[in-house]
Amino acid sequence: MIKKGGYFGRLLHVDMTDGGSRVEEYDESLAEQFIGGRGFAVKLIWDNLQKKGRFDPLGGDNLLVVAPGPLTGVYMPSSGKNSFAAISPATGIYGDSSMGGSFGVELRQAGYDGLAVHGRAEKLSYLFIDDDRVKVIECPELAGKGNLETEGRIRDQIGDHELRVASIGPAGENLVRFACITSEWSRNSGRCGIGTVMGSKNLKAIVVRGNRDLPVCDLKRVEDISNQAYKELAGHDMMSFWQRQGLMSVIDYANELGILPTYNFHDVHFEKAEQINGYTMEAGYKIGNTACFACPMCCGNINLVKEGKYAGTVTEGPEYETAAMLGSNLGISDFGAILRGNHLCDDLGLDTISTGNLIGAIIEGYEKDLLTIDDLDGKPIVWGDDERVLELVTQIAHCESVGATIALGAKGVLEKWPQLKPLVQHVKGLEQSAYDCRGASSMALAYGTSDIGAHHTRAWTVGKELEMGADWNIEQKVDLVIYHQHIRSLFDMFGVCRLPWIELGFHEDFYAELYSAVVGSDYGLDELLKKSEHIYNMTRAIGVKLGSNKSQDYPPERAFDVPIHSGPLAGKVCDRQEYEQMLNLYYTKRGWDPQGTPVITGELNF
Amino acid sequence: MRRKLAVVPERCSGCRICEITCAVHRQGVNNPKKACIRVTTVYPHPVVRMPVVCSQCGDPKCAAACPTNAIFKKDGIVQINKDDCVACHACVDACPFGAMYVHSEIDVPLKCDLCEGDPQCAKMCPTEAIVFLPEHVFGQAHRLNNVLSYAHMKEIEYMEKGKRKRLRYADHGPSEDLER
Repeated sequence: MIKKGGYFGRLLHVDMTDGGSRVEEYDESLAEQFIGGRGFAVKLIWDNLQKKGRFDPLGGDNLLVVAPGPLTGVYMPSSGKNSFAAISPATGIYGDSSMGGSFGVELRQAGYDGLAVHGRAEKLSYLFIDDDRVKVIECPELAGKGNLETEGRIRDQIGDHELRVASIGPAGENLVRFACITSEWSRNSGRCGIGTVMGSKNLKAIVVRGNRDLPVCDLKRVEDISNQAYKELAGHDMMSFWQRQGLMSVIDYANELGILPTYNFHDVHFEKAEQINGYTMEAGYKIGNTACFACPMCCGNINLVKEGKYAGTVTEGPEYETAAMLGSNLGISDFGAILRGNHLCDDLGLDTISTGNLIGAIIEGYEKDLLTIDDLDGKPIVWGDDERVLELVTQIAHCESVGATIALGAKGVLEKWPQLKPLVQHVKGLEQSAYDCRGASSMALAYGTSDIGAHHTRAWTVGKELEMGADWNIEQKVDLVIYHQHIRSLFDMFGVCRLPWIELGFHEDFYAELYSAVVGSDYGLDELLKKSEHIYNMTRAIGVKLGSNKSQDYPPERAFDVPIHSGPLAGKVCDRQEYEQMLNLYYTKRGWDPQGTPVITGELNF
Repeated sequence: MRRKLAVVPERCSGCRICEITCAVHRQGVNNPKKACIRVTTVYPHPVVRMPVVCSQCGDPKCAAACPTNAIFKKDGIVQINKDDCVACHACVDACPFGAMYVHSEIDVPLKCDLCEGDPQCAKMCPTEAIVFLPEHVFGQAHRLNNVLSYAHMKEIEYMEKGKRKRLRYADHGPSEDLER
């Protein structure tokens, strides 16, 4: 074991091409420099690029990294996170997506700090990691099966109900560019087409069983710090509300603030929001809670549709993003339909954000006569048409009819229908998630400069700017974006959830203290943030090497061109000049050149 | 007054805090697989999340199955005498609830002993899905539930001598129930 705790010092490499595996015992400097989780993933992907040069993200050269962090599974609130990373087939640059639940904990308990999947299997297979035994098993019988059935059948086959399975549905197998990886019914790594990479490797599922003790240097200290933390969380004013509604409470918040994507990001206020909000869910649908490992917040909601055309649908979810992207963004106000959509996406293995985003663009395209009825296989689609939307969801996953085009993601859709350019909301090929940025330019900068594309978890500054930043200058906005991009990366590197911090005001120092107790030497937050900054520079450098540049560091055009026309932020739109200033200042503060190239880019020489 | 652990599956979120707390507190290791409690989940039809833990049975089947009489009951707690245990795991198989656990690194099966009267899982459970109750309270919740579902309680507010007062009263069920 390297360090006194926190690490096994072992990375598992599996080559799908020949089914072989080996354990790499790394030395302490890797942990010291990269911490773990997303940090390890970036390092492994960097080294793979160095070795292989530029490659097709859907080919066997792409490396899929599964990386829990040194705090994943540790006795502390919300330690169930795990990152999946690869070169994204959606954007062509670095991409990652994290997943909650227990999968990462199990992988660590098998004795690995990370898993790197190389190559491509000839036939559809799953990978079974049973502590030290690692096997690639062919599974033609699982072809085309949904995530739920896949998980159940693998458990039956192996004869263990308590295994952890991370699988892809038909969407991943069919290389839909926004396929997700799903575990435990509804824990998803949704973004960047990370499930597509699994599909391209003919890897249907990763199955893990682990029994080891996690290395913790000073368990007594961890216990003391965490007991206190659990107590604090339990006593928090918002805790019971959070347990009741989870992220669904954000629907009302976003609607009132004027950032709820509505009608394909055209509006920011949905007139029927009260039909898809947390209270509607509580009153008519919710039947239970779910939580990730060791998390008292249980933000997951289990919902059942009791009546209407979707009666009998039971699903875990939706959370805010799904309710907004499959709800208000498509003009859908039937909560039952959203639940049905959520269930379908989970089972078929689709990212709900990208799915809702692209279908929104299609509906608007048809509404504005940019798409003809023939483009849509003779079937019209309008706002709020839930049956047609759900049909499209299924078609996307199976690459049928118009679904085959949508399945190519933002970039593919625009290649086929360039006339949709003003309507498809994306950055670098990743579809924008459910926060409008026109009222808060820091959020526009967050989307524009995110290293993976338009995703809100890199820097979620919109709330803070709208609540308290009315007279902020551009420097304050840039600083906040950069700070978020570092602290949030750090959570992914540790393998823990950011929600206790961002939602319940849990202090950052807690994480530094806990990490220190786990690894057995003291680290300050600033020191850790430095390491996080290095990771951010690396992902940017990878992006630049693979074709990203300043011209792509802008939010979707709509942010500049279409003023918000209703709600408290009516008339607001991002100012191009201000954005340009912010972007330049952002580069300067990061020490990048005026084209947004970090110094270390040259080190990646292929 | 004896107390027992009771589980309310409807409240369980499946977060496994009970598991990790048990492992850290009782075994001194960060390993949820070495806990004396485990959350079993089933989905999507039906959806159940349920911590499974020893009920400290009055007539323990685990003890009856033990070939070396290593399992005994004292002060209401079913316990294993480590010296007598031969690790055959007949008890694990005999428990009708599956509430005893096996880990490859530990010979003696893992079994709840109520943490010397202060079970940490119940203390840490964030949704009160695990509660530590006096024995005579068992069943009360179900009784109360039954009664309440029979008579739908209503509440009215009224003023009496200038004071705001509340009155709860039982209303008979919906009209279709009355017709029966």
